[in-house]
Amino acid sequence: MSEASTKSCCSSDSSCCGAANTIAKLLLPIGLVGLGLAVLGLILGLVNHDARPVISWLLGLAFWLTVLLGSLFMVLLFNLFDAGWAVIARRQLEHLIGGFRWVALLFVPLLAITWFYSDPGILWKWMNPDHMLPSGHTVSHDVLYESKAIFLNRFSFTLQAFIFFGAFIFFAEMLRKHSFAMDRDGDTAHVSAMRKLSALGIFVCALSLTFAAINWFMSLEYHWFSTMYGVWFFAGSMRSAIAVLLIILYFQSTKGSLKGIHNESHNYLLGCMALAFTVFWAYISFSQYFLIYQANIPEETFWYQIRHVNVDGSTNSWWWVGLCLIFFHFLVPFLFLLFYKTKVKVKLILFVAIWILVFHLVDLYFNILPSKIAPADNILNYDVRQFSVTFWDLSMIVGVGGIVLWAYRKSLSKNSPIPLRDPRVNESIHCHE
Amino acid sequence: MPATDNNTFGIAATFRTAPDVYHACEKVRDAGYTRWDSYTPFPIHGIHHAMGLKRSKVPIFTFLGGVTGFLTGLSIVAYMNFNYPLIVGGKPYFSPVFPFPIFYELTILLAAFGTLGGMFILNRLPRHHHPLFDYEPFLKTSDDTFMIVIESTDPTFNEDKVRAVLGEAGGEDISIIQAED
Repeated sequence: MSEASTKSCCSSDSSCCGAANTIAKLLLPIGLVGLGLAVLGLILGLVNHDARPVISWLLGLAFWLTVLLGSLFMVLLFNLFDAGWAVIARRQLEHLIGGFRWVALLFVPLLAITWFYSDPGILWKWMNPDHMLPSGHTVSHDVLYESKAIFLNRFSFTLQAFIFFGAFIFFAEMLRKHSFAMDRDGDTAHVSAMRKLSALGIFVCALSLTFAAINWFMSLEYHWFSTMYGVWFFAGSMRSAIAVLLIILYFQSTKGSLKGIHNESHNYLLGCMALAFTVFWAYISFSQYFLIYQANIPEETFWYQIRHVNVDGSTNSWWWVGLCLIFFHFLVPFLFLLFYKTKVKVKLILFVAIWILVFHLVDLYFNILPSKIAPADNILNYDVRQFSVTFWDLSMIVGVGGIVLWAYRKSLSKNSPIPLRDPRVNESIHCHE
Repeated sequence: MPATDNNTFGIAATFRTAPDVYHACEKVRDAGYTRWDSYTPFPIHGIHHAMGLKRSKVPIFTFLGGVTGFLTGLSIVAYMNFNYPLIVGGKPYFSPVFPFPIFYELTILLAAFGTLGGMFILNRLPRHHHPLFDYEPFLKTSDDTFMIVIESTDPTFNEDKVRAVLGEAGGEDISIIQAED
């Protein structure tokens, strides 16, 4: 009913209970403290020529970048398909993707390192032509790098980073602008404007996401080939975004402004999406492994080999992380989400959402962290960087999370939590599975 | 006159509006009947709650079909590769990786068969005719009429009581439907 939505909207800013308000106020300080610590780690890493704290920066950024990218894609999809049930959920995502600019800003230090630091290849080793590879020669004498240099070079990398973040921020802000403007003027022309934007945006953002994943994460091991990587990144983004959306909707429907509006039918439909993308993630991840396993080409298999054994053939920590991903990132959420009750019972779906987020982070570790490190004294040999969770990882994840959620709260306090004059808002409130 | 004769399929009552039939469903549900159904020209949201319907049991058939498919695929590959060992592409005789598409496809195929079969079994299909088709007013349930039919196979079926319940619920034209001869 429109009365119900108006009532809850009017009281939205003040109705949050005390605890929620305190947490909301703490988000910015938490974010800043986390980022401050992460900056300290980054500086220490750069001073000591230790790559691990620099990877922490990339990892924490990657986690929230996937959440925001998944959110952006859901907004694009909901607009494109004129989804009626999702109008309320879409508004939460529109608030969330307001955080893109901060994530883009936090990416700048990594770009600065590649231009100004003494070892530009501390993170992406191909950036430094003098970087010594386990094969006994440097990057500049590497045949594979020479072939890939047209794409993988510092200028193109920097330019692409600006283009990709530019595209994400452009589409996020334009969609937000139209959606919030419709709250004020009630002009349904915004609906078709958003749909046209989304039709263009889905192509631009899909390409940007794919190449961003290749540039920023896949190129950490630039010898590798995989046609699945961008899709894997997309699948992970969608899973984490759906999980974050479910958590946000839980708090909004129990303590916030969506009390009595967000109901079990919405949870059911989002739970179905979570199930679908759980299967999709497994399908993509397995396909990547399967094709590389079947073809058995050394340029491709090494990527999985360093995630299984050390150079001496002993099983390393990534083997266990990999198994963990199969059983806990796929099988457990899959079996759990199959049940109808899981999808409609708020507490159960909240549990699955948190579970998926935790293992999404493990998935990012698995994809970002392992790398061949050439020991300075021993050519034709290498160490594999092992699994570890450091203090800098956690401070970056908490830091970026604080900023992203603070941006969400800020957007929420300025604009309605429900798109009151969206032509389909009634359909969303009365959505029935 | 006997309360029910063997030739009775059930007792039907018609309703004029969707809220009428919705509330009537709640009354019939609360009266404790289990073998009955409501017929409406369009889907009414929430009527499964009003009727007290439980979740469908089809997913059980789907799951059993899926598990059967997965195990079938597993056995096919294991049996063939050990019965007639061939080294292909340097791969081991058995591994969960290379034959996974077989497991996976058979899981999906048999889960789909399980779903279809489960749906047929639970709906008691195939069935070429139904006693309600002989009842003229029933045809209007695809137009502008709502109907509740309590079937004589219900354990607590008693003609007078059923008539009373349907009448109290606001049903009109309460009449006996003859079973097929």
